[in-house]
Amino acid sequence: MVKSELQRDLLDILGADGLVTEWAQRRTYEADGLAAYRSVPALVALPSSADDVAAVMRACVRHGVPVVPRGAGTGLSAGALPHPEGVLIVMSRMHRILDIDPVNQRIVVEPGVTNAAISRAVSEHDLYYAPDPSSQIVCSIGGNLAENSGGAHCLKYGFTTHHVLGCELVLPDGETVELGSSTLDPPGYDLRGVLVGSEGTLGVVTKITLRLLRRPEAVRTLVADFESPAAAGVAVSAIVAAGIVPAAVEMMDNLAIQACEEDAAAGFDVSSGAALIVELDGPAAECDAAFAETVALCQESGSTAIRVADDPQERALVWKGRKAAFAAMGRLAPDYFVQDGVIPRTRLGECLARIAEMAAEADLRVANVFHAGDGNLHPLVLYDSANPGEGERAESLSARIAELCVEFGGSLSGEHGIGVDKACSMPTMFGADDLAVMDRVRAAFDPAGRCNPDKVLPTPRLCGEKPGPYRPHPLEAAGVIERL
Amino acid sequence: MMHPEAGTVAEAQASYRPAELAGAREAVLAARQADTNVLVRGSGSKLRWGARPAGERPWSVIDTRALNRLIHHEPGDMTATVQAGMPLHELQEQLAVAGQELAVDPPRAARGATVGGVYVANDAGPRRLAYGGIRDLVIGTTVVLADGTVGRSGGTVIKNVAGYDLNRLWCGSLGTLALVVEMTVRLHPRPEASRTVLIPASAGDATAFVLDVLASPVECALLEWSAPAPTQPQDPLIMNTNRPHRSISVHDQRGQAGGGGWLLVGLEGRAAGLDARVDQLVDVARRHDLAAEPADGEDGLWDAWREAHAGTAGDDGAEGEAEGETVARAATLPSQLADVAGGLHRAADASGVEARLHSHAGLGLHDAIITGADPAAHAATVTAWREHVCALGGSVVVRDRPDGLDGLVDPWGEPRSAQLVKLSRSVKRALDPEGRFAPGRFLGGL
Repeated sequence: MVKSELQRDLLDILGADGLVTEWAQRRTYEADGLAAYRSVPALVALPSSADDVAAVMRACVRHGVPVVPRGAGTGLSAGALPHPEGVLIVMSRMHRILDIDPVNQRIVVEPGVTNAAISRAVSEHDLYYAPDPSSQIVCSIGGNLAENSGGAHCLKYGFTTHHVLGCELVLPDGETVELGSSTLDPPGYDLRGVLVGSEGTLGVVTKITLRLLRRPEAVRTLVADFESPAAAGVAVSAIVAAGIVPAAVEMMDNLAIQACEEDAAAGFDVSSGAALIVELDGPAAECDAAFAETVALCQESGSTAIRVADDPQERALVWKGRKAAFAAMGRLAPDYFVQDGVIPRTRLGECLARIAEMAAEADLRVANVFHAGDGNLHPLVLYDSANPGEGERAESLSARIAELCVEFGGSLSGEHGIGVDKACSMPTMFGADDLAVMDRVRAAFDPAGRCNPDKVLPTPRLCGEKPGPYRPHPLEAAGVIERL
Repeated sequence: MMHPEAGTVAEAQASYRPAELAGAREAVLAARQADTNVLVRGSGSKLRWGARPAGERPWSVIDTRALNRLIHHEPGDMTATVQAGMPLHELQEQLAVAGQELAVDPPRAARGATVGGVYVANDAGPRRLAYGGIRDLVIGTTVVLADGTVGRSGGTVIKNVAGYDLNRLWCGSLGTLALVVEMTVRLHPRPEASRTVLIPASAGDATAFVLDVLASPVECALLEWSAPAPTQPQDPLIMNTNRPHRSISVHDQRGQAGGGGWLLVGLEGRAAGLDARVDQLVDVARRHDLAAEPADGEDGLWDAWREAHAGTAGDDGAEGEAEGETVARAATLPSQLADVAGGLHRAADASGVEARLHSHAGLGLHDAIITGADPAAHAATVTAWREHVCALGGSVVVRDRPDGLDGLVDPWGEPRSAQLVKLSRSVKRALDPEGRFAPGRFLGGL
C-alpha cells in the first residue's frame, strides 16, 4: 500500500493528469512485452519533463518507495515489470526531439521518442539512426538505451551502445548528472557505457544524444535456399571468411519458413530446408563487388536457389516475410516460448543439431529464426497449453536451450535483456564473484537498491518464483510488433 | 628531476611480473598485504597520462609484460582472447596469419604498447573513424580488484547483453579501478586494399571538406588534418614515388595556399570498388576547389601521420623521454576544427611557444604538440586553449608533458560537474574502497 502522502506529493508534482491512481488504469501497465510476468504498480507517474522525473524520484526517496522506469513497454525480459509497492515512471510523454545537428550527424532527443521517429526526423538530411530492433515503430529510444538494443543490422553497425554519445540521467537519489557528451571521449570514467544496457537499474534517463549515420549509397539483398540450416551456416562462414561484413545475415529453418509464408506470402520456398537472407550495403562500387562474391559463395556452398531482391518493394517484401516469423507462429501452434541465446557462429550446425535432439526427446517442435551473422538464436518452442503438462515441458526445453548456448561458450541474451526473466539463469553464465562485482557497480549508482529492484542480478527473493507460460503482448498478437 | 610516475616506478618497494591470472591475483593481494598502492604498467609508453598519482603509502608496481600470450584465436568467429600485457604489434602479427586484425591503430605500437595499455588508456589512431575505438571492440574482460576479487564481464560472443557492460568502465580508467588481466576482442578482416589521398588545405577549407565528405557516401577509413604535415612534401618519403603530375613547386604553392595544413584521407575495402570511391572523393575535393593527389604506395605515410599524434614520444624507444614537449588532446565536434586550430595558434603565439596540430578531423579529436620556451609557457598555452575549447563545448586533457608542467596546469581540467565527480567517486569506492590503484591519477583526484 502506498502512503497517501506520497500520492499527494506526486499529485503536486505531476497534476491529476500526470498520475494514474485507479486500479483499473494501473492494471494496463501490469506487464511489458513479456506478459507472462504481471504485477500492478502502486502508482503510475507520467512525467513531462526532466524536472518532473527528478522531483518524482526525490519524492520516492523521501517515502522509501522503489521506482521502475518504463518506455513503450515492448521489452521481452520483463525488465519493466512494475513493483507492486512502487511507482512506475512511464516516459511516453517525454517524446520531443530537442536538437538536430545534421552537420555533425548528431541528434538530441527525449527518451520517449520512438526508434523509427528518429530516422524519420533526419531522413531529409540523408541520415538515419542505425540500430533497428524489430519493434522499432513503437519501441522508445530510452528503452533501447536501457536494453542496449540491437536489430538485424547490428552485425555491421553495432548496438545501441555504439550510437549513444551522451545522456542526462536522474540518479536513484534524485540528483541529475550528465554522462558522456556530444563529443567523443569526455574526461572521466565511461559511465555512459555502464549505463547503456543496465536495464533501468541505475537511474532514469531524461535526455539522449545520439550519433547518426549517413545512409549507405547502395543496398543489395538476396535470399538463398539451402537443404538445411547447417548447410546455410557453411555459407555464412564462407562469406565471413572472405572478409565480407554484411549489413545483415538472417536465417529461417523450414518450420519458420512455412509459418512466414502462410502469413506474409513473401515468396519464400516452403520446401526449402533453410532460407538465408543476406543484405550488403555501403558505397555502390564496393557493395556490387562484394555482392557478386556473396552470390558465388552461396552457390559454392550448395545453395539450391538464389533470389536477388534488388528493388525496394521486393526487398521490403523479403523483410516483411522475415519479420512476420513471430506473428506467424500462431499458425503452427497456439502457444510458444522464445529464447534469445547467442552462440559462437562456428558452432551453429552443432548447436542446431542438439536443439533438434532435445526437441525430439521432449516431443515438441522448435522453429528456428535467427541472426545468423552474429550467432543470435531465437528458437521458438511450440506447444499447446490445452494439453496437460505440455506447457511445463516446453518451458523446461526453452530454458535448457538457453543454457545450451552458455555451454557452447555463448550468452543467455543477445538483445532481449535479462530483466526478471533470465536473472535466475545468470549464475549459469557468471560466477558469484563476477556477479558481486556487477552488484558493487550497481550499488555505486543506487546504494539503497531503489531503482528497478529484483532485475538483472539474481536475488533469493526473485529466484524462488517461477514464470508462467509466454503470452503475447497485445501489439504482437495484432502483428504490429514482433520480437525477432 | 624524474617525472613523478617514472619516479614511482623506480622507487617502488616491490615489483611484480605475473604471467597468469592466478599470479596477477596473488600480486594484487601481496601489494595489499604489504599495504602499498599499486601502479599497473605495460610498456610504459603512457605512464605519464593522467595526474600525478599521490598517496601516503609506498608503491608496488605490477608489470603486465609477462602476461603476453594470445590465449585463443577463433578465426571463424572473428574473436580472440588475449592477455593484457601482449604487445599490440605481436598480436596483430599472429592475427594476420588468418587475414584478421584487431582494428585499432594507436601510436606507439611499434615501441611495444600493450593491448591492455591501449585499452585502459583508451588510445586510438586514425582508423577509429571506420572501426570505432578499442572500447567498441573489447567484448569481454577479466580483471582483479584491489581486494583480490576476480571479476569477468561480457563474454566471448560479439552480441551479448547479459549483465552490466563493465568492459567500457575499464576502458580509459588508466589503471585506477582494477588490474585488467585478460581481454576478449572482436576482430575484423584485414582490408583487401587501401588508397590514400593527400590534399593541401587550410583549417577552414579542411573543415568544410571534412563535413562534406562525412555527408557523402564515400565512407573513409581515416580523415586526418595536420598543420604542419607530419611528412613535408619536400620529404623524400613523399617525393620518391612514381606518382604522375607531381612537382615540388605545385606542392609548395598549395602548401602555402593551405596555410601549411594538409588533409590525409584513406579509403579501405574491396579492391574492386576502390577506384570509383577515390573518384568520388576527388570530386568532393574539386567542389571545394582543393587539389587531391593520390599518395599510394607510401607505407611510411600513414605511420608518420599516426605517430605524429604522440609527439616525439611516439618514435622514441625510451620510456616517456619526450622532455620539453607537451601533448594535449582536445575533443570537439567535427565542425569545430578550424576554431580549435585558430584557438591553439592564438594561445601559442601569446605564450611564445611552437604548436603543431594533428587532428582526427572526422572524429573531432585533436592533438596539440607544444614545444619551445619553458613549462610555464606550455601551461599558459594549454590554459588558454582549454578555455577556448571548453567555450565551444569541448574538453582538453594533457597527456605527455615535461615534469615542470605539473602544478601549473591540471592535466584533466575542471570536471564538468560536481555530480559527475560524486558519482565517479562512488564507483571508485565501490571497486577500490581502500584507494590502492594509482590514487590521484584520475579526474577528480580519484
